[in-house]
Amino acid sequence: MNLEAIMDYMPQLLKGLETTLELTFASLFSGLALAVVFTLILSLRFKPLEWLVKAQILLFTGTPLLVQIFLIYYGPAQFKGLQDSFLWPLLSEPWFCALLALALNSAAYSTQLFKGAVDAVPAGDWEAALALGMNKRQTLIRIVLPHAFRRALPAYGNEMILVMKGTSLASTITLMDLMGYADRLNARTYDTLTVFTLAGVIYLTMTGIMTLVIRIMERRALAFSN
Amino acid sequence: MAVLFFNATLMTLGLALSSLILGLILATVFALLELGRFRILRYLTTTMVTVLRGLPEILVVFFIYFGSSHAIFLLTDEYIEVSPFTAGTIALGLIYAAYASQTIRGALMAVNKGQTEAAKALGIHTRRSFIRIVVPQAWRHALPGLGNQWLVLLKDTALVALIGSTELLHQAQMLSSKTFEPFTWYSVAAVIYLVITLISQKLLNSMKAKASQHERVVTA
Repeated sequence: MNLEAIMDYMPQLLKGLETTLELTFASLFSGLALAVVFTLILSLRFKPLEWLVKAQILLFTGTPLLVQIFLIYYGPAQFKGLQDSFLWPLLSEPWFCALLALALNSAAYSTQLFKGAVDAVPAGDWEAALALGMNKRQTLIRIVLPHAFRRALPAYGNEMILVMKGTSLASTITLMDLMGYADRLNARTYDTLTVFTLAGVIYLTMTGIMTLVIRIMERRALAFSN
Repeated sequence: MAVLFFNATLMTLGLALSSLILGLILATVFALLELGRFRILRYLTTTMVTVLRGLPEILVVFFIYFGSSHAIFLLTDEYIEVSPFTAGTIALGLIYAAYASQTIRGALMAVNKGQTEAAKALGIHTRRSFIRIVVPQAWRHALPGLGNQWLVLLKDTALVALIGSTELLHQAQMLSSKTFEPFTWYSVAAVIYLVITLISQKLLNSMKAKASQHERVVTA
């Protein structure tokens, strides 16, 4: 590993950083939005929807993310009807498929976290809100959920890092993210140790920054407690 | 087809179990080093664990698989390929150990110090008291965490498909390109993963129940 090689490889790897970051934030954002809706459905026990959410969680937490990505990207080609439909431009787009898989995967894990946090809110909070004349839905949205989301923040921080690491799998469906460029560079130069070490350094820097940001968010969100 | 998937399932389970065994051994070593007396080893272990947890799993797998051949080439000038199974086991074992060592460390610290002191007062040798008194109690604390990480490990074995080991995902890939029925075969693989996960969860629950059968039940 010499300096010249590093100076040569680094700019090539950093070209993939934008895709990695975009995919991370887009998946986290859509995953979070879905997870909030799913948590509401589970907490309010909307009957048919509740079963659907439970099935979604079982499916997406019980199978590997890579299988989900392959199923979503390669799967639809089997159906002629889908290929002729308006969905095809989206489903043949690797970026969209990676986003869809990552968002659904993250939504499943996040819903588990949030539902656990909702269940952990002390019964006294519910009773106090009911005694003040609030109904179940008001209590959930105004009292319980804000409390639960704050409590779930440390665990959600881990989930954010898992999603960032998970975006690297998008390189397997031809998306040129950081891992995609690392792969290409490795295949071209055979300088495996240097290339993957540099890619690792970039990923570690991102994990480090995310950990710091999450810690600051936690401190803010839980500032009132203890 | 059934035979192919049966073999692939065995391969997935073999990968997962051998990674688990390697991972548990490494995790125990990491945990003891981190709790140990040598400051340099403590820092080195913490750094390694942090690095392993901060990297995408696919990068670790590729690093070990392609990197080991590269390293052997640099050292001996000979091109020797490491088998996907071996490379996968080492990579997944290391990743498992990075997470599990923290669980084991926490579990060991959660055992009340009075237990070791009481054993000492009874004249039980340090090593014996560690194995007979501390470990069984720590096991109870560690089991839920280790079980969750096993479920993660099981799913991470799919990554070894990318370096060419014929496990479930790779089998589905090969059949898909042969029959042009990707949805069917990836679904079959997904269902098998799901079944293994569900069986694992059942087993873990009964292990947890067994491990905590002596615990005092506090009823409100």
